[in-house]
Amino acid sequence: MDFQVIGKVLPRKDGIAKVCGQETYPSDVVVPHMLYGVTLRSPYPHAEILRVDTSAAEAMGAVCVTPDDVPEVIYNERTVSIPEKTYCDRRVLPRRARHVGEAIVAVAAETEEIAFKAMQAIKVEYKVLPPVLDLERAMAPGAPALYEEIYLGDQKIAVENNVACERIITVGDPEGAFARADYIVEREYELPRVYHHQMETKTAVCRPEPNGGITVWATTQTIHNVRQLLGRIFSLPLSKVNVKKLAIGGSFGSSIQMNSIIPICVALALKAKRPVKMATSREDDVYDHTKFPARIRLKVGVKKDGTIVAADMRALVDIGAHQINSYPLLGCMAGWYASLYKWGDFRYEGRAVYTNKVPACAMQGYGNPQVNFAVESHMDLIATECGFDPVKFRLKNYVGVGDEFWGQGPTVKSIIKSCGVEEMLQKGAEMIGWGQRRPPREKTGRYRRGIGMARGFHTSGTGGPKPGEVIDYSSATIKINEDGTVDVMTPVMDLGGGTGEAAVKVAAEVLKVPYERVELSRVDTKTTGYDVCTHATRGVYCGCGAVYHVAQQVKQKLFEYAGRILEENPGDLELAYAAEKGVTIIHAKGFKQKQITIGEVARLAQIYSWGTIAATDSLRQKNCPPCFVAHFVEVEVDTWTGIVRVPRAILLSDSGTPINPDMVAGQLIGSLSRGLGYALYEETEYDLESGKLKCNGFITDNKIPTVCEMPRLADIQVYFAHTYEPTGPFGAKGIGEAALNSVASALNNAIYNAIGIRFYRTPITPERVLAALEGGDRDGN
Amino acid sequence: MERQWVKLKVNGKERQLFIKPNELLLNVLRDELGLMGAKYGCGLGECAACTVLVNGQPMLACLILAVTMEGQEITTVEGMGDYDRLHPLQQSFLDHGAVQCGFCTPGMLLTAQALLAENPDPSEEEIRDYLRGNLCRCTGYAAIVRAVKEVKHPA
Repeated sequence: MDFQVIGKVLPRKDGIAKVCGQETYPSDVVVPHMLYGVTLRSPYPHAEILRVDTSAAEAMGAVCVTPDDVPEVIYNERTVSIPEKTYCDRRVLPRRARHVGEAIVAVAAETEEIAFKAMQAIKVEYKVLPPVLDLERAMAPGAPALYEEIYLGDQKIAVENNVACERIITVGDPEGAFARADYIVEREYELPRVYHHQMETKTAVCRPEPNGGITVWATTQTIHNVRQLLGRIFSLPLSKVNVKKLAIGGSFGSSIQMNSIIPICVALALKAKRPVKMATSREDDVYDHTKFPARIRLKVGVKKDGTIVAADMRALVDIGAHQINSYPLLGCMAGWYASLYKWGDFRYEGRAVYTNKVPACAMQGYGNPQVNFAVESHMDLIATECGFDPVKFRLKNYVGVGDEFWGQGPTVKSIIKSCGVEEMLQKGAEMIGWGQRRPPREKTGRYRRGIGMARGFHTSGTGGPKPGEVIDYSSATIKINEDGTVDVMTPVMDLGGGTGEAAVKVAAEVLKVPYERVELSRVDTKTTGYDVCTHATRGVYCGCGAVYHVAQQVKQKLFEYAGRILEENPGDLELAYAAEKGVTIIHAKGFKQKQITIGEVARLAQIYSWGTIAATDSLRQKNCPPCFVAHFVEVEVDTWTGIVRVPRAILLSDSGTPINPDMVAGQLIGSLSRGLGYALYEETEYDLESGKLKCNGFITDNKIPTVCEMPRLADIQVYFAHTYEPTGPFGAKGIGEAALNSVASALNNAIYNAIGIRFYRTPITPERVLAALEGGDRDGN
Repeated sequence: MERQWVKLKVNGKERQLFIKPNELLLNVLRDELGLMGAKYGCGLGECAACTVLVNGQPMLACLILAVTMEGQEITTVEGMGDYDRLHPLQQSFLDHGAVQCGFCTPGMLLTAQALLAENPDPSEEEIRDYLRGNLCRCTGYAAIVRAVKEVKHPA
């Protein structure tokens, strides 16, 4: 399809500000007369707070907020799910610390230095309780309980054996189907605790307003959910709560919820009656959130001809001290599993368990990288054990066009209408030289190379024909200015992936206006309609879907006013971009001479007092199309040191029409780096004695990949499948999370091909590789 | 702690600052001079988001006491170029999609500038080696390396 701006590589709208150091992130916000806030955090994994003495801090001029000073509201930081499916277990400051690093008392003072000194002067009397740090022990009878009761929506419910929530789903008759299988393959996989490591630590600034309200500048993926939750916690009318949309220094899911420091900052500001800024230190940030660590047991039954007939997955997830989104996570994990292959009859059991550790939240893929690692490693394993070609085995069983896709667990499903899986697997195999792949037994010497592949997907948004457990819609406002330029107002957060630029392109394409003549407005919750959150790879499909929808309304308004001027019926008019003059014109269909520029229409609409050409509306997408990916990678294992290098990677995606091709490539390559970390390096391990992180929150001891771990430029190839999603704006689907989901799986499969050892646990560190090589195991764990 | 006068040059301008001896250069640049381009990422010298040039050398502003900068010449990203007169590296970062969230970008740009001052035509290997201390979680670095490699030098 021939587009004016869609699919073209154009400079990001926020690019110049970012390269000049002029972009405002929450940590850059300065408000006159503001105080600096810090928190005192629990040194114990589990302890009751008996008494807090802030007198010494207050004598230093500090304002203090203790657990007794915050509202008695129990909430869940994440409000993406509908209220009756939301588990609530936390207060702004707790009366019982449930993990090391949980904020207990907050302090604000004139300078950061005084605030720290005041914080150190606070005395807290704790009653230390026995902690629960091991997943299995947490569920054992007699284990210390983190909670006696929590809330599901408004309902008080009891917690037993530290099981936070569970989901059991059976489709068909898996037991009967296993009985008919020729081969049954079963293994357990373990995925680690990983820190998001977004570059900017979480920050909040709150200014109390003279009307009794508050203005908030904060690190978030959702300005509207922050606003609503603050309104609820502090009993403020929403008209008096305003949350500003700012740039965000990376997120990867870490700010899907209202971050823990935001309400603490608000409590301080309301008490001090002055603006307060809180910028989290990196150590406190590492102690604030993590990816969901999971143990996944998978059993699959296959016929001799390679048809899968049965599957059974049991997932056990360590969610840490609070539920942020564990219930929807369990559902989503079921959906990622159910939608990868046609399992025939299958079963899923997911269980989320409380432990006295950092609370887990969404991180790029939301359970999908975990499930994908299990399933895609398993597919390779089955192919090896049963003698199938791994690519053909996948092509025989994958879920594609016409099949049902579980976009957000069992309650949000839609039928797949576009799918590039076959094209990507064929192309990827050709690009990597799959036909020349040699088995592990033929590889000798110190450095052994292997080729592996895996495929994956993610949903685009959480819409289905029927609304499910997840809220999903977005809003936009578009205005034609009096010179024909366009303002786009969208509440959708751009996490860096280029969603903002995509919104501009979609508006420009509908209105046939040059990219340079459309700008994004600086907005907040008062000036925009609701958007749920930038999560679930929904920015382009849902957020820009709303922009597309509203731009169509603006176009109709333009036709109405142009019709009055040209004395034509609005329905007989057409928009066109006159490239030679660089203007957008409205002309009579089939009679181009009868024309007027949109700038002239807007100018006359003002002079004739007709009004501004603008529209505001919301849109709920009623599908959740999967964006597919495939990874074909080559690894080199140094059998002397155990170090795994990645000399070559082929990254393939089906994101429908790539609106920002450079940013789609950027997502794929960025995800290769994060996937490398997930597969080979990253794990924030706990010391099970002290309940502290072994890295103590310092990133010095928690390495993420640098530039040197990446393949050379010429050895990273990106390929876009040729698909068009009929329900997306200009045929677009998402890409963000999909890009990561099969990276670690492909690397694991390549390592097997190099050394003949399959790993069931990441990170596959040099120590684990060496131990497996020395142990002579075929299964390195 | 007693404040003291420090005279230094920041982005080509003479500055006199009255600061405490325990203040970090990063905080002085941001809080006293309003130069928000240098970012706090870890405070440990591990991520290089706070990189500035001191006499042309890339240094980590989160590890430097500002009082030690007497007589030194400091360049922050704000000193590299303006929105209407971008430095060739800034332009190249835009042209090659090397910016996503943008939080590591100022540090990356300044480190790359120091590299190009030492070695105007670095190989890919040399670029990787020079940028290895600057962390980026978004881009996977490839677009950044390409932007440095293909920078168009001013004629």
